Amino acid sequence: MPSLKDLKIRIDSVKSTRKITKAMQMVAAAKLRKAQESAERGRPYAEKMRDIVSNLASSVKNIAGDNKFLGDGSDCKKFLLIVATAERGLCGGFNSSIVKLAKSRIAELTSQNKEVKILTIGKKGREQLNREFESLFIGHVDLSNEKNITIDTARKISMDIISRFEDGEYEVAEIFYNKFASVISQIPSSYKLLPVSFSEKEADASNVSFNFEPDEDEILSEIIPKSIATSIFSVLQENAASEQGSRMAAMDNATRNAGEMIDKLTIDFNRSRQAAITNELIEIISGAEAL
Amino acid sequence: MTNKFELSIISADSKVFEGKVENILVPGMVGDFLVLSNHAPCISSIRPGFLEFSEGTSDKKRYFVSGGIIEVINNMVSVLVDSAVAGDKVVEGDITNLISEVNDRLSAVDTVNKDDLGLRKNDLEEALKQA
Repeated sequence: MPSLKDLKIRIDSVKSTRKITKAMQMVAAAKLRKAQESAERGRPYAEKMRDIVSNLASSVKNIAGDNKFLGDGSDCKKFLLIVATAERGLCGGFNSSIVKLAKSRIAELTSQNKEVKILTIGKKGREQLNREFESLFIGHVDLSNEKNITIDTARKISMDIISRFEDGEYEVAEIFYNKFASVISQIPSSYKLLPVSFSEKEADASNVSFNFEPDEDEILSEIIPKSIATSIFSVLQENAASEQGSRMAAMDNATRNAGEMIDKLTIDFNRSRQAAITNELIEIISGAEAL
Repeated sequence: MTNKFELSIISADSKVFEGKVENILVPGMVGDFLVLSNHAPCISSIRPGFLEFSEGTSDKKRYFVSGGIIEVINNMVSVLVDSAVAGDKVVEGDITNLISEVNDRLSAVDTVNKDDLGLRKNDLEEALKQA
């Protein structure tokens, strides 16, 4: 049985933990709102970009043009997995669920004798993957100094990815992130970044013939880097919103657990205090009786 | 009566403009062009320069854009821009910054891309004169 003093110390320490988790939860809630807003602001651009790319791609397909960025990615040997995680922990299963998905993909690809390379965005994913797959790493993007994700960050990442593609370091790029389904649910997902395939995208205006200025190929080689940057941008934004949502849920849980623990410890504390008082009374009474 | 069409100018992190306009002058990659309503569907890339459009009244609105893509389809014009600054807010410093950025890249890349960047620099200097 711990002494009264020990119990008191424990109750105080759990109380201060609860304060911290409560504060973190509220900070995450505020950041979540901000992240969601900025994700929503970026959506029209991303949607329009997708439309234009699919319109372009279908026209290019019609004239049987051949662009190195287009294809369906089948019978490719070299894969690049881009694993986007958070810079910080304490956000429930956020990071490990992405890493888990990426790991299962790595296992699948290596069993098919494909060459796998890894590029991580965010410290946590690197830490977890580094233990097992250090030799596969070709790069890491550090976002710890970026308070808000900007399109410029996404552009830099996409430029790096594209130049590696052009150098033939890989043939297919997939990005792993957490899709923001709702505040309490984030789904680890993957998305094929390169090559751009038009089979999965429906061209909404496939029967309209566009005039292109300059020609399709030139526009395509200009728009594809942009569309990749946009995809990365929206992935990073979704990830940021998911991270905050996940942290909020985790901290809410932690706060509740701390509360339960405090209740339990307080009961223990009161019980031992009561026992101590009873003990003292017994001692006094038996002392008086002895006289 | 003049016909109007829908115009939306969208940048990566916000909607810059949305509304009905009478015409829009676009700094296309191969040359400036004017879009009126019932324009044929087209997709074009935009070089850095000024977008100019009027909403019907005589005064025109101007935006400095640093490049992008325009899509015209069924009287819906969408302009995706890398960044846009309203014409009256354009500071020469912004454009000068862009020019120096291009200069930095010019010294770093090989000759093939040099032509492209050189053109870009010309566009920017042109825009600087208009500002």
